[in-house]
Amino acid sequence: MAETQLQSGKSGPAPTGQRPAISVRNLRMGYGTRVLLDDASFEVHRGEVVVILGGSGSGKSSLMKNIIGLHAPMAGDVLVDGESLVKANATDKARLQRSLGVMYQSGALFGSMNVLENVRFPLDQFTDLTLAEKNLTARMLLHTVEMLPAESLMPGELSGGMLKRAGIARAMALGCDILLLDEPSAGLDPITAANLDRTILSLRKNLGVTCVVVTHELQSIFAIADRAIMLDPISRAIIANDRPETLRDFSPDMRVRQFFNRRPDELRAERHG
Amino acid sequence: MTGATDDVCVVLEGRITARTAAPIWQSAIEILARNPDRPVLIDASRLQYLDNVGMALLFDLTRQERAPGATVRIQALAPNLAALLGRYEPHDFAAPPSRPRRLGTLEDIGRAAARHLLYLKELAGFLGGCLRALREARSHPGAVNWGDVLDVATETGANAVPIVLLMGFLMGVIIAFEVGLVARQFGAVIFVVNGVGVAMLRELGALMTAIVLAGRTGAAFAAQIGTQKVNEELNAICTFGLDPIEFLVLPRILAAILVVPLLTILADIVGLFGGALVMTSFNISLLQFFTRLLGAVTATDLMLGIIKAAVFGVTIAAVGCHSGLGTGAGATSVGLSATSAVVTSIVLIVVIDGLFAVLTS
Repeated sequence: MAETQLQSGKSGPAPTGQRPAISVRNLRMGYGTRVLLDDASFEVHRGEVVVILGGSGSGKSSLMKNIIGLHAPMAGDVLVDGESLVKANATDKARLQRSLGVMYQSGALFGSMNVLENVRFPLDQFTDLTLAEKNLTARMLLHTVEMLPAESLMPGELSGGMLKRAGIARAMALGCDILLLDEPSAGLDPITAANLDRTILSLRKNLGVTCVVVTHELQSIFAIADRAIMLDPISRAIIANDRPETLRDFSPDMRVRQFFNRRPDELRAERHG
Repeated sequence: MTGATDDVCVVLEGRITARTAAPIWQSAIEILARNPDRPVLIDASRLQYLDNVGMALLFDLTRQERAPGATVRIQALAPNLAALLGRYEPHDFAAPPSRPRRLGTLEDIGRAAARHLLYLKELAGFLGGCLRALREARSHPGAVNWGDVLDVATETGANAVPIVLLMGFLMGVIIAFEVGLVARQFGAVIFVVNGVGVAMLRELGALMTAIVLAGRTGAAFAAQIGTQKVNEELNAICTFGLDPIEFLVLPRILAAILVVPLLTILADIVGLFGGALVMTSFNISLLQFFTRLLGAVTATDLMLGIIKAAVFGVTIAAVGCHSGLGTGAGATSVGLSATSAVVTSIVLIVVIDGLFAVLTS
């Protein structure tokens, strides 16, 4: 039997599994002199799906922008795989940022490229694959998020949900094992949202992807989250950090219980009463 | 190893990721191509990590067209990855990525002609709408948002003063100098004053100001309104029962009618002054220049320039707004709108200038 060994040349540092994927230490963030969050610390472990939640204006998206290094925190530190993103020089920061796949609220697809080209973009920039290989990889990603039939459409021709799904495919293109998703299911119909949740869980299960998801869709939170981190705009702090079920049933904080126990049927009773 | 002796075995090792996959992918495909008739066994037992590019690699190997019996089998792949791989069906990816169909030359020409005709029809309809709005505004001046008009006039007019002054001055200098050099050979330097006067007042003052504003203001109008359209602000305006033409276009047109003639007068003044300065080097004093000028040009010349400027102003504002309103979706189309606004208004300005020249000769 003829045997050939194909070995990856530069294997690069393998994720240790010990270090947290992301750790936020004593972070203070805000805009100008307005502080949105003070002295926040938490960790996201490998293979975990962590949801950041909180009411409108509590700084969920800003926290995500701090984690991915788009905004510099006022104080504190953000570590990606054990390395500080805040103190890193430009080259290291770019390398760390490349290891994070990010989906922005509105997809942030490049308007001048079609969907396939958008998903292929990171592969074009950072790999030596041939065009056919890049196309196959990109199309498999589009298949995963059920966007293959729309591959040749321009972003302007897509609906909100399609933009988000294409955005997720692009975020995953470089095989990032840490994904940050900003409100992935906001504005989607329940079926598409459930499919997206399924995609996230399958990525976690099959590829060991770590996910940080900013959302306030309760159903989605209970479906995907291993842990929920809740921000409060008034006390400007993290007021909860635990499994969503635990928070719903046992949290000592009323704000947290209220958030998790929002009962649409009570409102319905109010409407009819 | 379970394969028969003539099996080809490919052992994959280590981490196959976006960064490391390229050479492995190539060699694996080569091995498959070298052994078209033999079954291939891919041993994944020593794989440490596989990202989506690695998955694409494995999938690509299994979907290759092979001779009957020469199958490609993957062995010892982690069950979760195998399940993931099982979700992809080769026929889903059979069609090559669709490309836009290439049009024939004749079809290109036909489509372009149809597009331009449609555009002209649309533009005419839009100008009609603008004129109707202007007539409305004349009969009900209170309905116009004069605050908006002033804001636009400040941005379009006051902030454009430096560039218009510079252009006007340089135009006067250049014409006086070029014509002066030729005229000196015939001893007719004093007639250069007539030339500079008529050229600046009737033609260049208005034309140069309009071209500067087409680039500056026309593009800005198109980009502003285009972005509003992309952000669905235009839809919001419509659903409030407001007419985008009255609400967005009219203030801009009124502002343009107001400021383009004023800027043209400024350009005229500095242009003549620039011409006068150059003429001093041809031994014609400032006093001589202006005495001669008063005899050479009439109030009609000045008025003609100003009327032309007002027409150019309407054209720039209307074309800019029209391009903005016609913006498609996305950032690219905003850029296209701005470009089309500048190009169309400059072409129209030159055409209208030509019409004026014919009609007033």
